[in-house]
Amino acid sequence: MTKEKTTETAAVIDPVRYEMFLHRLWAIGEEGRMTLQRVTASPIVSQGGECMSSFYDSEGIMVLACSGHLRFAAATSDAIKNLIRWFSQSPGFYDGDQLFFNDPYVAGSHTYDMMIVKPIFYSGELIAWMATSTHTADTGGMLRGGAYEIYHEGICIPGLKVMERGEFREDVFKTLTEQCRDPQYVGLDLKAMIAGNNVCAKRYQGLVDKFGQEFVQSAGERMILDSETKARAKLRSLPDGTWVAREYVTTLDRKNRKAVAQQLVCKMTKQGDELKFDLSGTSSQTDTDHNSTLPSTTAHIALALTNTLFWDVPWSDGKMRPVKINVPEGSILNCRYPAACGAAPRVGNVLVSTVCECVSKILYASGRFDDVNASTTGNLAYVGGPGYFYGGHTREGVPVAQGIYDIHGAGMGATPHRDGVNTGGHMNIPSAGISDIERIEMQYPFLYFARAHDGDGSGFGRYRGGLGSYRIYFISGSQDCSADYKPYGGIAQGGFGLFGGYPTGKSTPRYFVLAGLKLLDRMRQGEYPDRQGMRDGKWGTVHQPQGVPERASLPEGSLLIDYVAGGGGLGDSLERDPELVLRDYGRGWVSRETVEKMYGVVFDREGKAVDAGSTEQERKRIREVRYTKGKPYSGKTTSLEEGTANGWRSVIRFHAVLEIATNGRTHSIRCTRCGHLFCGAEENYKLYALHQVVDLNDFMPDPLPSGEPYIGEYHEYYCPGCATHLQVDLYCPMLGGDPILWDTRIHLDRLAAGNS
Amino acid sequence: MESDTQQFIVGVDTGGTFTDVVVMSPSGEVWNAKASTTPDDFSRGVMDALLEAARVLGVERSQLLARTILFKHGSTVATNALITRSGVKVGFITTKGFEDTTEIMRAIGRVDGLSDEQIRHVTWVTKPEPLVSRERVIGVRERIDYLGETVIPLNRQDVMAAIQRLVQEEKVEAIAVSFLHAWANSAHEDEVRRLALEADPSGKIYWSFGSALSQVAGEYARANTAILNSFLGPTVKRYLADLDRRLREGGLESPLLIMQGNGGVAHIEHTTPVANLQSGPAGGMIASAYAAGLLGHPNVITTDMGGTSFDAGLITEGYWRYAEEPIVERFRILQPIIDIKSIGAGGGTIARVEAGTGRLLVGPESAGASPGPVCYDSGGEEITVTDADLILGIIDPNYFLGGRKTLNKDKALRCMEEKIGRRLGMDSVEAAAGIYDIINSKMSDLIRQQVVRTGYLPEEFVIYAFGGAGPVHAGGFSAELGIKKIYIFPTSPVFSAFGIAGADVIHTRVMSCQYILPADPEALNQRLGSIEDELREAMKGEGFPPEHVAFRRFFSMRYRRQTAGVEIPLAWDRFSHDRLAKLQEMFEGKYEELYGVGAGYTKAGIEISAIRVDAVGGVAKPQLKTQDQRSTDSSKAIKGKREIYFTGTVRKFIDTPVYDYARLGANSEIAGPAIIELPFTTTSVQPGSRVIIDEYLNLVMEVL
Repeated sequence: MTKEKTTETAAVIDPVRYEMFLHRLWAIGEEGRMTLQRVTASPIVSQGGECMSSFYDSEGIMVLACSGHLRFAAATSDAIKNLIRWFSQSPGFYDGDQLFFNDPYVAGSHTYDMMIVKPIFYSGELIAWMATSTHTADTGGMLRGGAYEIYHEGICIPGLKVMERGEFREDVFKTLTEQCRDPQYVGLDLKAMIAGNNVCAKRYQGLVDKFGQEFVQSAGERMILDSETKARAKLRSLPDGTWVAREYVTTLDRKNRKAVAQQLVCKMTKQGDELKFDLSGTSSQTDTDHNSTLPSTTAHIALALTNTLFWDVPWSDGKMRPVKINVPEGSILNCRYPAACGAAPRVGNVLVSTVCECVSKILYASGRFDDVNASTTGNLAYVGGPGYFYGGHTREGVPVAQGIYDIHGAGMGATPHRDGVNTGGHMNIPSAGISDIERIEMQYPFLYFARAHDGDGSGFGRYRGGLGSYRIYFISGSQDCSADYKPYGGIAQGGFGLFGGYPTGKSTPRYFVLAGLKLLDRMRQGEYPDRQGMRDGKWGTVHQPQGVPERASLPEGSLLIDYVAGGGGLGDSLERDPELVLRDYGRGWVSRETVEKMYGVVFDREGKAVDAGSTEQERKRIREVRYTKGKPYSGKTTSLEEGTANGWRSVIRFHAVLEIATNGRTHSIRCTRCGHLFCGAEENYKLYALHQVVDLNDFMPDPLPSGEPYIGEYHEYYCPGCATHLQVDLYCPMLGGDPILWDTRIHLDRLAAGNS
Repeated sequence: MESDTQQFIVGVDTGGTFTDVVVMSPSGEVWNAKASTTPDDFSRGVMDALLEAARVLGVERSQLLARTILFKHGSTVATNALITRSGVKVGFITTKGFEDTTEIMRAIGRVDGLSDEQIRHVTWVTKPEPLVSRERVIGVRERIDYLGETVIPLNRQDVMAAIQRLVQEEKVEAIAVSFLHAWANSAHEDEVRRLALEADPSGKIYWSFGSALSQVAGEYARANTAILNSFLGPTVKRYLADLDRRLREGGLESPLLIMQGNGGVAHIEHTTPVANLQSGPAGGMIASAYAAGLLGHPNVITTDMGGTSFDAGLITEGYWRYAEEPIVERFRILQPIIDIKSIGAGGGTIARVEAGTGRLLVGPESAGASPGPVCYDSGGEEITVTDADLILGIIDPNYFLGGRKTLNKDKALRCMEEKIGRRLGMDSVEAAAGIYDIINSKMSDLIRQQVVRTGYLPEEFVIYAFGGAGPVHAGGFSAELGIKKIYIFPTSPVFSAFGIAGADVIHTRVMSCQYILPADPEALNQRLGSIEDELREAMKGEGFPPEHVAFRRFFSMRYRRQTAGVEIPLAWDRFSHDRLAKLQEMFEGKYEELYGVGAGYTKAGIEISAIRVDAVGGVAKPQLKTQDQRSTDSSKAIKGKREIYFTGTVRKFIDTPVYDYARLGANSEIAGPAIIELPFTTTSVQPGSRVIIDEYLNLVMEVL
């Protein structure tokens, strides 16, 4: 439409004024976001950073998003485009209007993603749009967990003027807020968004005063074009090829009241300066709220790319122009109306994880090691038990629907040169944080007895994933408290390891113990609740509510433990520096069992020093086991002919240990450690690697609290030449698909061309 | 020369490079001197600088010290020990179950203290190494709830065992203690203090307690505060004791007062090490506040543009502002520290053309002092802001920093042409002008952000421009903001020492609370009363009888459920129902000022969430003398002419007179275009703007 014009105007724009304009626009957006964080009533917004201020051109194309929750920025563009389509004629848009919006089938992830959108006028003409968004956890409707149609998920508004021609609409405001449990809370957040818009719009008009309307228009177009240019340039610098990730989620099967798994399949193809995502093979939508709408899916892909591949590309819609997305309709990633979608961010987080898995591998293949990160997106590795969406009455008797957002304190993934950051945050929000316990206890009817790092919970590897965390807390002071409840799922939800690192550590299901108020008496006598004791029933019966309800009542005196996931590991755990293993052990970050089993490290009896000789022997022994137990899936360890071992040189290293090499005539996959030649460059090396299937039931030290079995297996691959661990894939046999995932396929055409 | 009975007030500021001394007579005369800072033993630099000051005064150092009635000192010792991580080995005792609090860092610790550009690189950013390694953190059984009620009593055996392990096995030199909700009730921490006397009767261990350092909710930042205090404590204490001894030997009889980040001084015995952080910038702020009072400016933006960064702070209604949870060296703490924001914009800031998009990016990377700008000719190959200033003619290549450095203009021109100009289709002067405008615009954006957050508008402020590059750019960024007046002070290089010399004794208490309106005025009055009693006691220790202590009171207020508050200065010392009703109006008025009409929401309820009281003991201030000799003929100060390129609407070279500041008298006036050279900086005056030298010999620029 305006594309031709864009290129033309962009070429003539004054570069100096353009820089001044961009920085000013960014500063204005930041001001809006800071305003929002200061005036919101949502702890997840003020301390967790789940909010956004962003700017759009007159057609709704995003010009710039500021730091904050990226999901919102990507989403709002669609909302504005639709508002224009639906309401331009009636009721029309006027100076001073602000529209409330929270329909996840159009934009956003679930009804709790609320936005207020404001058209910006200049000299009577609509010249731009801006939006502020927050995560506001109360929309009325059913409390979280129980919905199976969008109608259950409270107010769902495709656009309603809460400000009209500068006048505050008390009728609209009252109608919206009083459908919610906690009108004051929702009201404050709506007012916060209005305030954010007021601040930004006023400054934006100042910007137009300074730079002139025409310039602002062209600068916006140029901004979008610049992002596209940079995104394409970056794509061109990466090898062509196809990368595939397959990860899992679990939810409730409403008919038999048990956990059921779904898979998310992400196939990423990069060719030239384009990137294509095909999510075919992803499981069908569920009849719970565990679904993602297409807008939510698109937004999550956009944010995954923004934080990894395109982190240095300005945040405008231009960066998504080279990206094509195909999502099968009726799948869990493109659910059909009116499916419920309250848990869409949860599904979205796992989707982000699959995208990050593909992206880290392509980035590694281009040598950008600083950008490679085996991160999860936070949240929970193993789902089950009471969740973090609380409802009921506060100690003061105020009805609430809220959440505890310690999920923002997940471990980050390992990188090619260091461990992941412990409790590093959240891939989705660059500056995410969790609340101080002192502040949580002032608002919620809880008493915490622990918030600590979860040893053994993150992915093992040469570099381990950053540790996640756990908390033990106690319901105190409220007679009406409940939380969403999930069946225990026997497979990890998202997360991935790289190049022989594990996606998660040991499983960490949540527990719920009916301890009673007498717990405090016992504590006064010197006892203190602990993880193992909770598991063993020392603090009361481990409670599993009858029939796996969607919500569980948490009577006063309930003692809970929950976990937030750690990051994925990178590289063969037998190559981890034994001194680092010792350090981790000293800090309680790894158990003696894991030290020996996963890392092959032997300490002295007191656990104060590494026994180097025994460690070397133990590691050798484990490698021997790999040789014995591992069998190539294809029946042979190479597809190449004998006698081709010499004269190879490296063409591209696409894996910590593997490369594509050439002998001048042909290209093959080769181990950089021992020189083993697996197969042709466009074959799946895994078919020729030593392959071993490890049942999670044998791997995980702790059974699921429900006594049900784990439903996944690790497919492990080792080099036939040197037994180096090359890859761990999680696979769920009951969902089918090829167990031998072909995760990396680099296309030779351009490589060969570039090489010659 | 001075009479034998002349008394002195001395301010000493130990900075990164120089140790500055300002000496004042109670009647207001001011002298200054400097010596090199000596990082291996900072007190030597102080004594050197005093020797230099004595020489300027024409007295013996011993006489100077003997006649000093107030000796005030701000040092970089604490900051330096933190930056180089050279504090002592610390153990940390906390509530059982929460031993990882300072490792978890509220997750936000991964990005705290980083620039926006750094934060965007999500896969790369990591947390800083904690100051106390996990092995030296011990949890003890105890628990207090948010109301301050004891849930689980303190387990003394745990405490004794923890102390024993930390001291005997871990061999720590200092211990920090911070328990959950000790802000609401410090009984358990107080109990540990008593047990510590038992366990460590020799007092060898340096102890810090979270509740003693802050009564604000937020266990992460409070724990950090205690840990930082212990980490820095022995180093700072040793340094001060050493300095005190040297000063006494040198003849000083009056007490040694130490500059704190809150903008006040405290006696050596009453100062806390963590409060010494950021005392240098605080000194500058006090001097600004003092100047603002003298010159009649209620609202001031202080700006400092040096080699790598640009700092901006605010004075509103005569007072500086405190940061809520200031971040020092990536650690979030709870201390009243003057709020100063910083971005990467200085003389060494690098400009380059981005491949692919052709954008002209300026900053945030810096070439630093080494290799420095291209024109330094020390190997720098990236164009910087200083190169641009040089090409525009604002800086004289032969009179940079008063002639202490010669610059290579030809090299800068060639490099500008090659790396910037050619790629953008501009000549090197146009490119330089672009860089000048872009950096000014960025600085104005930071200032605007700072100002509007307080509910004011930039037009209501004047700018004080500090730093070597500040006056070069001040005209540019002020114009962007619509600010009409810029002050450049001849005392600028020793401003921090000047501020320290004039600093009052200040003790501050900030505490979380919850009073829901309409609150019981008696309860509030009692709370204020007890805070004031405590502060009076502290001030007594500083030698201030109650009648000489002034209080400043502030409430932080918010709508219920909000997490951040709006600080309201209180017009009353005690409350009645009427006054509380007025307070509510004031809050709602201020709220609308900040966030727009209709943003408030009375129905949500209003609460007082924190109380802050400053106790101020006023000390003698310099009575700066005015200069009355008139020398309105500024033309005598012209030392030459040179071609200056002016940006904005002018956009061309103008043959511009260059003035020597030293030869300008009070009340003289200079019309732009002009260049005025000071020994430490240069300023350019746009055509249409003018400069007046005021009666204190300050340079006042009135922007077109």
